[in-house]
Amino acid sequence: MSFLGQDEQIREYQFRFRYLYIGLFVAFFVLFARLWYLQIMNGDKYHTYSEENRIKGVKVTSPRGMIFDRNKHLLVDNRPAFDLEVTPQELYSDKEWKKTIHTIAQIIKMPEEEILDTLERSKGQPTFRPIKIKQDLEQDEVAKIEAHKLDLPGLNIQMEIRRTNLFGDLAAHLMGYIGEVNQTELPKLNRLVGATGVPYKMGDVTGKFGLESRMENVLRGIDGEEYMEVDALGHRKRTNKGITSGLKPKDPTPGKNLILTIDQDLQMAAQRSLEKLYGKKQIGAVIALNPKTGEILAALSQPSFDPTLFSRGVSPKLWGELLNNEYHPLRDKTLQDHYSPGSTFKTITAIAALEEKVIDENTTINCTGSFRLGNRVYHCWNKHGHGVVNIHKAIRESCDVFFYRMGQRLGIDTIAKYANMLGLGRKTGVNLAHEEMGLIPTEEWKKKRFGQEWIAGETLSCAIGQSYILTTPLQLANAYAAIGNGGLLWRPYIVKYIEDNDGRILKEFQPDLIGQAKISKQTIDIVRSGLTAVVNEPGGTTFSRRIPGIDVAGKTGSTQVIRLSADKIHTKCESMPFNVRDNGLFAAFAPPDDPVIAVAVIAEHSCHGGSGAAPVALEVIQTYLQKYMPEKYSDEAIKTRLKIASGKPIRVKAKPEPDEDEDAVRDTEIPDVVAKPAPPAAPGDTD
Amino acid sequence: MDEEQLKKFDWTLIVISIAIFTMGVLNLYSATFTEFVGHGLRYWQSQLIWFGLGSVVAVVIMLVHYKLLSRIAYWVYFANVFLLLLTLVAGKASLGARRWIGAGGFYIQPSEFMKLSAVLAMAKYFETERVTSGYRLRDLWLPTMLILMPVALIMLQPDLGTAMIILLTFGSMMLFIKIEKKSLLLVFTVAALTAYPVYKFGLKPYQRQRLVSFINPMSDPKGSGYNSIQSMIAIGSGQFIGKGFKKGTQSQLNFLPEHHTDFIFAVFSEEHGFMGALVLLSLYVLFFLSSLNIAYVSHDKFGTLLALGIIMIFFWHVFINTGMVCGIMPIVGVPLPFMSYGGSSLITSLIGIAILTNISNKRFMF
Repeated sequence: MSFLGQDEQIREYQFRFRYLYIGLFVAFFVLFARLWYLQIMNGDKYHTYSEENRIKGVKVTSPRGMIFDRNKHLLVDNRPAFDLEVTPQELYSDKEWKKTIHTIAQIIKMPEEEILDTLERSKGQPTFRPIKIKQDLEQDEVAKIEAHKLDLPGLNIQMEIRRTNLFGDLAAHLMGYIGEVNQTELPKLNRLVGATGVPYKMGDVTGKFGLESRMENVLRGIDGEEYMEVDALGHRKRTNKGITSGLKPKDPTPGKNLILTIDQDLQMAAQRSLEKLYGKKQIGAVIALNPKTGEILAALSQPSFDPTLFSRGVSPKLWGELLNNEYHPLRDKTLQDHYSPGSTFKTITAIAALEEKVIDENTTINCTGSFRLGNRVYHCWNKHGHGVVNIHKAIRESCDVFFYRMGQRLGIDTIAKYANMLGLGRKTGVNLAHEEMGLIPTEEWKKKRFGQEWIAGETLSCAIGQSYILTTPLQLANAYAAIGNGGLLWRPYIVKYIEDNDGRILKEFQPDLIGQAKISKQTIDIVRSGLTAVVNEPGGTTFSRRIPGIDVAGKTGSTQVIRLSADKIHTKCESMPFNVRDNGLFAAFAPPDDPVIAVAVIAEHSCHGGSGAAPVALEVIQTYLQKYMPEKYSDEAIKTRLKIASGKPIRVKAKPEPDEDEDAVRDTEIPDVVAKPAPPAAPGDTD
Repeated sequence: MDEEQLKKFDWTLIVISIAIFTMGVLNLYSATFTEFVGHGLRYWQSQLIWFGLGSVVAVVIMLVHYKLLSRIAYWVYFANVFLLLLTLVAGKASLGARRWIGAGGFYIQPSEFMKLSAVLAMAKYFETERVTSGYRLRDLWLPTMLILMPVALIMLQPDLGTAMIILLTFGSMMLFIKIEKKSLLLVFTVAALTAYPVYKFGLKPYQRQRLVSFINPMSDPKGSGYNSIQSMIAIGSGQFIGKGFKKGTQSQLNFLPEHHTDFIFAVFSEEHGFMGALVLLSLYVLFFLSSLNIAYVSHDKFGTLLALGIIMIFFWHVFINTGMVCGIMPIVGVPLPFMSYGGSSLITSLIGIAILTNISNKRFMF
C-alpha cells in the first residue's frame, strides 16, 4: 500500500513533530501569560474601569437639513422631544419605589397601573436597561420631573430629536415625512449612497414621502460618535483624563438645508381662503407658479396631515384614519390626482380656433341655449342662451354653444395639438413623486384604448374640457402661465437652492425651458382680453367676486364628478349630497399684460368655479401682488389708482352682486377614465 | 462498524469537543439571551440546530474510509472554489461583505469550508510528491497556485481573517514538509520587501486601520481601537474567578462589539475569570495534544498531512482569536472553534473532528 520510501519519509516527519509541540507550548504559554497579566496583575484596574469607568461610544445625532421658504422662513426644523425612562435596577434599589411610581403617575397624568404594567412586561430584560414609560412629555412635565429628580431614583429624561413641521399640516404633501429605515429600504438606500458614502443602518432616519424623500441625499445628516466615560449607572463622568483621552471622536455631518421656491404667506393665504369656503373640511388643491421661471410659489392640497406626527413612528390608529378618509389626505392633489378641467379648457379651444383661423375676433355665433348634432342635443349651461356671441363674450360668459361650434370646426386632433403645446397630457417633469400625466385624447388614442372610432359628439364635450380630458392642477397652472407669458413653457420646480449650515449656497437651481408654444401675439391678446373680462367685466363668470384693483385674467370651470341619471341632471348643485356635488375650478394669471403669478385652484364639491374656486385664487394673487409689487397693489396704491381712474372714491371691498356664475353642463355619461385613482402607498414606501 | 472496531473507536477528540461546545452554548446563552437571530430563534437555539446538522455530516464522514477522501480530494477542492465564485456573483451581501450563499434563511459561508478543502488538496498533492533534500520554490508553484486561487477569491469577498488562516495553514504545512534553506530565505526576503506595498495598496482602509490600531489601540478614530480596549477591559475585569454567569457587565451592556462571534472569548473570560479561561484553554491544549498524536502515529503520508493540516486550521483559529481578544494580535474576524456563534464555522469544525477521528481509527488497518 505504501509508496516507495514513504515509511522513511514518515519517520523523517516524526522527528519534526517536536517543533510542533514546542510551538504549541510557546503559543499557549504566551496566552496564559497575557491572561495572567490582564486578569491577575491588572484585574483590579480593569475591574474598576468596567464598574465605574465604562467607556461608551455615544451617538452624536446629526441634524437633518432644515427646509425654508423662499424668504428663509423656517418651515421644517428639528426640535427636541423628551421621553421618560425608568431604570429598574435603580428604581427597585429604593425601598419606597412604589411611592416614586405614585408621584410620577401624578406628574405625567398616567394611571399607576399602566406604569406598573409596562415594568411588568419588561421583566426578564437586564435590569440596568432603561424602559421607556412615556414619549413626548409636555414642557411642564419635564420641568416638574427635573425639579424632583433627586426624590425619583431610577427616573431619567431622555432627549431625542423630533422632526417638526412648524406649520403642521400646511403643505404636508410637499414636505413629506420621515421614518426609520426598514429592512426593504436598507439595500436600496445603500446602493444609492454608493461605495464612498456612509451606509445606512437599521434605525437610521430617512425621508419616506415628498421632499423629505426626494431630497434625502441633501437633507440627510450623518451621525457621529464620541467616546466618553460613564459610571455604572450610565452617567457621564466629569474627568476626561481616563482611558478615553486618546480616542478621537467621529464628527457628525449635518444635513444641508433646502430653500424652496414656496412663499409661506401665499400658502397661508390659500389655506385661509379655503377655510373661508369650506370651514374645517377642505377638499381641494391650490397651485401657484411664477410664469417667468416655473418656480412653484404655493402648493397646497387638502385635506392634509401633520408630518410631525409621523416623525417618531405613526400610530396605527392615525394611519388607519388617514387611509380610510374618503377625501384621500395622503394624496397630493396638485399633481397626483387629475381632474376634468371643464371650462378652464375653453381657453385652449379658443386659442386653437383663432390660430387655425376658423374664426377671428369678430366672428359671431348665436347661442340659443342648446345645440343639436345628429340626434343629440348639447346644452349650454345658460338655458336661455347667450344670444349673439363673439369670442370675447364667449370666454367672459363661458358660452358652451360657442365652443361646441369651435370643436365641430376644429376636430379633436387639432385641439389636442394646442393642448399638448401648452404642456397638457404629459408630465411636467417637476421633481416630485408620482406625478399624473393627465389625458388629452386623440382619434388614434381612442382607437388604441377602446378599439372604437372617435364620435363627433365627443369632440364637442372635449372642446368644453369634459369627456376624456384630464389635467392635474399643476399642468393647468403651467398652461395658463404659458398663455400669460406668450407661449414659454417652463418646467415647474420647487427647490430654489441648497445651502450648508453656514449659509453657503451649494447649488442653485435654474429655470428650465421645456417647450415653446407657437401662438401669435394677436391670438394671445384676444384671449387675454377675454380672460380679463371673466373677472373684470359685468357678465363675467366671476365678476361678483373680483377684488377691485387686483388685475387678474382667468377662467372658471365647474365639472360633474359622478354619473347622474337623466332625471337628476338638472338638480340644483347645492341641493345634492356633498360628496356628489360638482367641482369648482379656476385658472388664472396676473397681472394680465405682464403676469408674475399663475394660479390653478380646484375646490372639490364647491359647485361653481366662480364662487367656489375663484375667490381662493384671487386671494392668493392679491397676497402675492401686494407683497411683491406694493408700489402698484398696496391698499393705498390701489385707492389712489382707482380714484384717479374713476374720479370718485370707491369701495375696496366688493359687495357680492347677482350671480353670473356658470353651472356645470351635466351629462348622463362621463367616461371611465375620469374615475378616481387608487389609494396611496403605505408608509415605508419610498418613491 | 463491528464490535472490534467499536472497541478501538477513538472517543478522545469527540469528548473534548463536546466539552468545549457545551461551555460554548452556555456562554452564548449568557451573551445573547435577550436577542434573536431571526425566525423567533435565540442564538443558542440556532447554534444547537447547527450542531445537530453538523453531527449528521460528521457521522457520515466517520463511517467511510478516509482513503476515499484522497480519491475525491480535488473534486471537493474545485467544487468549493466554484462555490466561492458563485458567492461573489450571487452571494448575499451584508455589512459590506459578500460571504453567504443560499436561500430561504439558510445560508452557508463557502469560505469556511474552503479551509478544509484546501488542506485536503494539499495532502493529496504531497502524498505522491517526494523530495529528499527539501522542496525548492519551483517544485511548489502548483500547490501555491492551488492555495492562492481560493485565497484571492476570499479576499474579494472580503474576508481577511479566513484568507489569512488558509495562508498560515499552508505556510506551516510547507515548513513542516521542509523547504530548502535558500528558498526559505528568498521567501522571507520577498515577503519583507512586499509587506509595505501590500499594506499600502492591497488592504482596504478599514483593514489597514486595524493593523495600526493593533500597534497603538488609542490611535483609532473609527472604533477598532475602541473594540480592543473594551475587550481587554472585559477580560481584565473578570479577575480570578469572574463576575459570574450572565453577570458580565461589559458584554451585557453592549460595550463589547460582536460579542456572540469574534469576541465571545472576552465574554467568557469576563464571566468566568482566569480560572475559567484556564480550563477552556487547557481543553484546547488537550485537544491539540491528542490530535497531534493522531497525526504522529498515522502510518500513511496522506493521513499525516491531512491531520496536520486540520490541526493547523484549529490552531491558528484558537491562537489568533484569543490573541486578538487579549490584545496581543490585530483585530481580524476569526471565530473561536466551538465557542463562537456561526453555522458554517461549527460544521467545518465538526467535519475536522470527524476526519481526525477517522484517521485515528483506521491506523491499525494497514
